[in-house]
Amino acid sequence: MALIPAGLLLEHFRAPRNSGVFPPDTPSVLEGRAGASRHGREITVQLQLAADGRIAACRYRVYGDPATIALCSLASEALQGLTLDEAAAWRGMALAGQLELPAEKRGAVLVLEDAVRAAVRSYNRQHRPNEADLERGRT
Amino acid sequence: MKKLDTTIYLDYAATTPVDPRVAERMAEFLTRDGVFANPSSMHAPGRAARAAVEKARADVASLINADSMEIVWTSGATESDNLALKGVAHFHRDQGRHIVTSKIEHKAVLDTCGQLEREGFEVTYLKPDRDGLIQPDAVAAAMRDDTVLVSIMHVNNEIGTANDIAAISAIVHARGALFHVDAAQSAGKLPIDVKAMHVDLLSLSGHKVYGPKGIGALYVRRQPRVNLEPIIHGGHHEAGMRSGTLATHQIVGMGEAYRIAREQLADEAPTLAALRERLWSALHAAIPVALMNGHPSQRVPSILNVSFPGIEGESLLFGCSGLAVSSGSACSAASAEPSYVLRALGRDDELAGSSLRFSLGRFTTADDVDAAAKIVIEEYERLKALALAG
Amino acid sequence: MTIYLDHNATTPLDARALEAMLPWLQGVQGNPSSVHRFGRAAHAALETARRQVAALVNVEPSQVVFTSGGTEADNLALKGVCRGQPDGQLLVSAIEHAAVQGPADALAASGWPVQRIPVDASGRVDVNALDRLCTQSTRLVSVMLANNETGVIEDIRALAECAHAHGALMHTDAVQAAGKMAVDFAALGVDLMTLSAHKLNGPRGVGALLVSKSVLLTPLVDGGGQEQGRRGGTENLASIVGFGKAAELACAELQQRIPAMCALRERFENGLRALPGIQVFAQDAERLPNTVQIGVQGFDGEAVVMELDKRGIAVSSGSACHSGSGRPSHVLKAMGLDDATARGAVRVSFGTENTPADVDSLLNALTVITHANRGAVAWA
Repeated sequence: MALIPAGLLLEHFRAPRNSGVFPPDTPSVLEGRAGASRHGREITVQLQLAADGRIAACRYRVYGDPATIALCSLASEALQGLTLDEAAAWRGMALAGQLELPAEKRGAVLVLEDAVRAAVRSYNRQHRPNEADLERGRT
Repeated sequence: MKKLDTTIYLDYAATTPVDPRVAERMAEFLTRDGVFANPSSMHAPGRAARAAVEKARADVASLINADSMEIVWTSGATESDNLALKGVAHFHRDQGRHIVTSKIEHKAVLDTCGQLEREGFEVTYLKPDRDGLIQPDAVAAAMRDDTVLVSIMHVNNEIGTANDIAAISAIVHARGALFHVDAAQSAGKLPIDVKAMHVDLLSLSGHKVYGPKGIGALYVRRQPRVNLEPIIHGGHHEAGMRSGTLATHQIVGMGEAYRIAREQLADEAPTLAALRERLWSALHAAIPVALMNGHPSQRVPSILNVSFPGIEGESLLFGCSGLAVSSGSACSAASAEPSYVLRALGRDDELAGSSLRFSLGRFTTADDVDAAAKIVIEEYERLKALALAG
Repeated sequence: MTIYLDHNATTPLDARALEAMLPWLQGVQGNPSSVHRFGRAAHAALETARRQVAALVNVEPSQVVFTSGGTEADNLALKGVCRGQPDGQLLVSAIEHAAVQGPADALAASGWPVQRIPVDASGRVDVNALDRLCTQSTRLVSVMLANNETGVIEDIRALAECAHAHGALMHTDAVQAAGKMAVDFAALGVDLMTLSAHKLNGPRGVGALLVSKSVLLTPLVDGGGQEQGRRGGTENLASIVGFGKAAELACAELQQRIPAMCALRERFENGLRALPGIQVFAQDAERLPNTVQIGVQGFDGEAVVMELDKRGIAVSSGSACHSGSGRPSHVLKAMGLDDATARGAVRVSFGTENTPADVDSLLNALTVITHANRGAVAWA
């Protein structure tokens, strides 16, 4: 079933926060991508790290239904201030709850989490090879 | 014409507003001092109701060049399709159990065929060509000795292409089968002549032609007579083909709607075609990658179906606030599944999903069309920017 | 202005129901399946009506399947239950409306054993007779809650218990009962129930089948998935809205309507005592407050109907669906009456707008017709 946007969902679909990407020369930006447009959703997440290693800001590109767009918008605020380890362990289901997404729309959360983890992995590959190895071991 | 707020209504193929002249006529049959009796009753009020029902029958018959006696009232085109398909299949089940239809029929035909398959009938679903047309050759190739019925729509509800009914009917009749046509989307928009087209059964709808919802008709040819097994028994109304107390106000409304349609058909068609062209030009100029679905000229003037590559369909549909359009047909709009019609035309899931159906009608203005194009173009650009930023 | 006393054929639309319908009869109105705002408004109106109809007979809104009327709902009940099963037996009472007889005959023609449950001399369906007719293969029993001709109210609760004891489902056609007596789906213990809008001051062309959640139905009309897949087709919205409003009003005003109709019936039946040769059929049975079926001795009922019609009074000789057929009523025949008596039947059915003066006009006209025209309109 299509979900008719209302309330918070409609608000974030109509005016998504922090959309777009950082200018190309912005330092300390990690990028991760997940999903595929031919499957209905594709999300690219950019995380900008502050000097203390925490996420200072977040940007994204999104192809998807209103639920996916609104989730990205909400997540771009929720991820701020997290460490990379916290971001890797971050779960978006609470946001899906805030948006009152029905079960069949919650697949968007998994794509978003994958994109965030992909961004963290890109950091690990460059800066924390041990973590990267651990990740490989886990998967 | 009363308008609800400022939303632009371009969803006439889902349902049309009731023409004020139709509403006025219906009201005469709804009030206590009007003609409210049961048309089956013998007393004077009953006879008055019956006369109004027969006048409406003549008006509906006249739009498609049928005789009044050939019009059977139903609760809508869906029931008409069910009555035509199940009625013929059940009546002729001993002569053959094969039915030919197309993949892009309305759900009323497809779901009915599905039920007939469960009952042991075999159904061949023809694939349309790339333009959405059912080629007469394809029908010829599908015909078998045990084919009892062929059901092909006149105009497709999603893309608006119009099949060559006369050519198909010649093939069907040469093989001794019966031919049913769903004309829910063409009645009042394209000329229909059941005699010239040699159609045996034809489904009609009230609410697609500025009449009320909940009323339709099935044309059932009388010479030679087409036999049907009814789906609703009891009371022997409508020559035994469809029982149930006749809803006089609905019938009168449909009759008036068809009378008006007959009067206005010649004027309305070119006006709508021009408005559709205006809409397509505006969209195509701003979004050169946009694709028009369906045959460019063999079509009903009122429907435009466009695919917008690179944009997710549900977001486009809901993002176009202030504009009432459909993705696919209204009946499947509530599902996120890409249109089965566009899939059958060879569009991939992504493209089929990112399509909008604009359907124009009697009360659509050039301003409506311009404003609609602006809304779609702006939303397209916004969503494109979200997906491709940077 | 005609004095209309044929409310069991159809009732005038309540002005308040019409008012509720009007916004849906004009202007831009959506298809309830469309997702845009017009479609959503239409969908909300549809669901309101569903709650109103559900409340009238105490069911959940999800149990309401809107149809094009009582006839379709009866067909859906009988064929919908039976066609989903490989075989079995169907039992219907001998006094059912054509809307039940028709599908029962169609099922019989397609090989289903169908039997008629007899009634006693007062038109009551006998529970013991049902018990004897039921077998292991009985799938469905259909008995109307109140008869359209005589107004006799059946003991559906007892019949349903009997049907269930044999493992069969119970359907009742409550078309004539709803709006004239309290009807409670659960208390009656039925599995399926038919309603019609135009018999309770709603519009024609809309009805409903109420279905227990456990009952599986094979749809009559496929296509589009509306009504939870149980009945396809774009919803007849204006009429459904009118049905909802009429149901709400019937529910709210039932306690006033019943005594008012009883008073008219009593006035009529008292007046009839002064007229020789007129009997009230099923007089000692429990009947609907608005229905009186009389037999005018030595007269053809249809001739009496025509004579009253000339005098501006609309009544009927039985079921509207059989008007003009010349056949004696199957209901009266089932009660054991002979053809001559059954042919003399005239049905008077009162409605909410009738007055004592209407009853008096009818009595006066009947007096004139039976005195002056005796012989002239006699059928034999």
